[in-house]
Amino acid sequence: MFLALRDMLHAKGRFGLMALVVTLVAFLVVVLGGLIFGLIKDCVSALQELPATHMAFENSTRPDYQNSMLDKETWEKWAQVPGVKATPIGHSLSNARDAQGAPVDIAFWGVVPGSFAEPKVLEGQGLATVPNAMIISRKIAMDKGVKIGDTLTIDRVLTEFKVVGIAGPVAISHAPVAYVSLRKWQEANYGPPGGAPPGDTLPEGIFTAATTIALLVDPDQQVDLAKHDKEIGTKTMTKERSYNGTSGYSAEIFTVQLMQFFLIATCVVVLGAFFTIWTVQRTAEIGLLKALGADNSYLVKDALSQVLLILVVATLLGVLAAYATTSAFEARGSVFELTIGNVVGSSLLLIGAGLLGAYFALRRIVKIEPIIALGRDR
Amino acid sequence: MTLAAQNISLLLGDGDAQAKVLDDVSLQVAAGEMVAIVGPSGAGKSSFLAVCGGLRRATSGTVAVGGVHLDQLSDRELARIRRQRIGFVFQQSNLVPSLTALEQLLLVSHLNGEGTRGKARDEARRLLDEVGMGERDGRKPAHLSGGERQRIGIARALVGNPALLLVDEPTSMLDQARGHEIVELLTQQCRAHKVATVMVTHDPSMLSVVDRVVRLVDGRIVHEGAAS
Repeated sequence: MFLALRDMLHAKGRFGLMALVVTLVAFLVVVLGGLIFGLIKDCVSALQELPATHMAFENSTRPDYQNSMLDKETWEKWAQVPGVKATPIGHSLSNARDAQGAPVDIAFWGVVPGSFAEPKVLEGQGLATVPNAMIISRKIAMDKGVKIGDTLTIDRVLTEFKVVGIAGPVAISHAPVAYVSLRKWQEANYGPPGGAPPGDTLPEGIFTAATTIALLVDPDQQVDLAKHDKEIGTKTMTKERSYNGTSGYSAEIFTVQLMQFFLIATCVVVLGAFFTIWTVQRTAEIGLLKALGADNSYLVKDALSQVLLILVVATLLGVLAAYATTSAFEARGSVFELTIGNVVGSSLLLIGAGLLGAYFALRRIVKIEPIIALGRDR
Repeated sequence: MTLAAQNISLLLGDGDAQAKVLDDVSLQVAAGEMVAIVGPSGAGKSSFLAVCGGLRRATSGTVAVGGVHLDQLSDRELARIRRQRIGFVFQQSNLVPSLTALEQLLLVSHLNGEGTRGKARDEARRLLDEVGMGERDGRKPAHLSGGERQRIGIARALVGNPALLLVDEPTSMLDQARGHEIVELLTQQCRAHKVATVMVTHDPSMLSVVDRVVRLVDGRIVHEGAAS
């Protein structure tokens, strides 16, 4: 660092500008990392919180939560497979209105009360307490001011639900989840508007459909899921893989990851270009240092220490700026979410990529001959 | 002998463009001896200096500095010999722009793995005092005159007490008065440090202070004898 530090102080304008560029890139990379993590949570947190290992869908080429439909026989067959717990889930995206008529967009989920798919409540009670019970995501409570005891009415079908519990801030496809019993979900989705006519009952046939089946597979038992999948006629995948079946998830994550990739690629190119020019400008000095006895490894290490110093300091500044910015956004309820792992991962990726870019530029150092210290080509 | 160059030949370029820059040149220099190499431009003076300093490898022949044969060393070992046994004084002083006068000398100690404090700093200060630059040790090259830069270049070349000093036209960029000062300083330092010195020069004033003069023409020694 003897030379590296002094060179940087001597050319502080150039190195300062470079550090500023890296700081901006680091800021954007970390913010985008936070956005990816926030998007993931906003797209699939209801699934992340679901204590299932696999999800079974209707057998199709691209199963998804919107279009899959399974019958009662299917989930009963899965429930009989040894080592597997199975429970049906109804999923639809709906509009609801609170008691004052204000709209509330929700992901409307039907689960069997008391099954492992019923969410844990942070406040209130479970779904088994009253017939029209609803557990809402904390996001609905916070964003719309809905409280325990309030009612929410599903548009079109006009089924009215009473909020009995508040779960964590879970969402799916950017809509906060409202959980009701599977039977009520089936009634609201497949029954007539307003429910059964007075004095009449709904046909039992509408209570035999669900969207997907949550499976909890015992890891200690060797369950051949593929075999059972074929026999039952479903398409089963791990819960994590099923995230791609939520609307928009893949496209959103891919878009942001692509932006992050291009930012990191930009950092590689910018740092590579900067250190290429810097090395070319220092050619005479490097020749002199070699004539004085500096070997290639010393000179490359010295130059890499400059790169590392810029990257580490600029990345730290970028991370701090990103934290300050995302804190402001988070306070306004946006989807940014920074975690230590995410920030450290993004930072290390940026530093690694920057070192790689600079390394290719610094290879020029090896090719510089000490003879140039004599000032002419002798 | 501190420097023993035997039958040095140097070919540069390829094919039709190949030129014989040095042709069977031999030279021995003892510790404390000063030898001047003179000759017209393109005679091969600086190329010979480069071969003696391990900056370029000879096409044939051998060079030994303090008994170590440079032609048998790897690039890494050559770098080590340059920093431990050879001092260079360049035509344009060649100082590192980001370092102060003191740091130019400490750089050599640092490259030698001797650190930049304690003895290394004491030696650097002593050498700067010897060349009359003790008061200006905190100045960077941009704030020094040509003569001052050359003085620092001489002091830097003497860090670590090298066995061989290779000097490339040290006065060519200076006016007559400054050039004369540098000649005196170089002579005084070479004698004081008992270092074998090979100096390429066009400056006639240098010839009166050296022990021997070697005249090169077209890459061959055409005359070698005591200075007049």
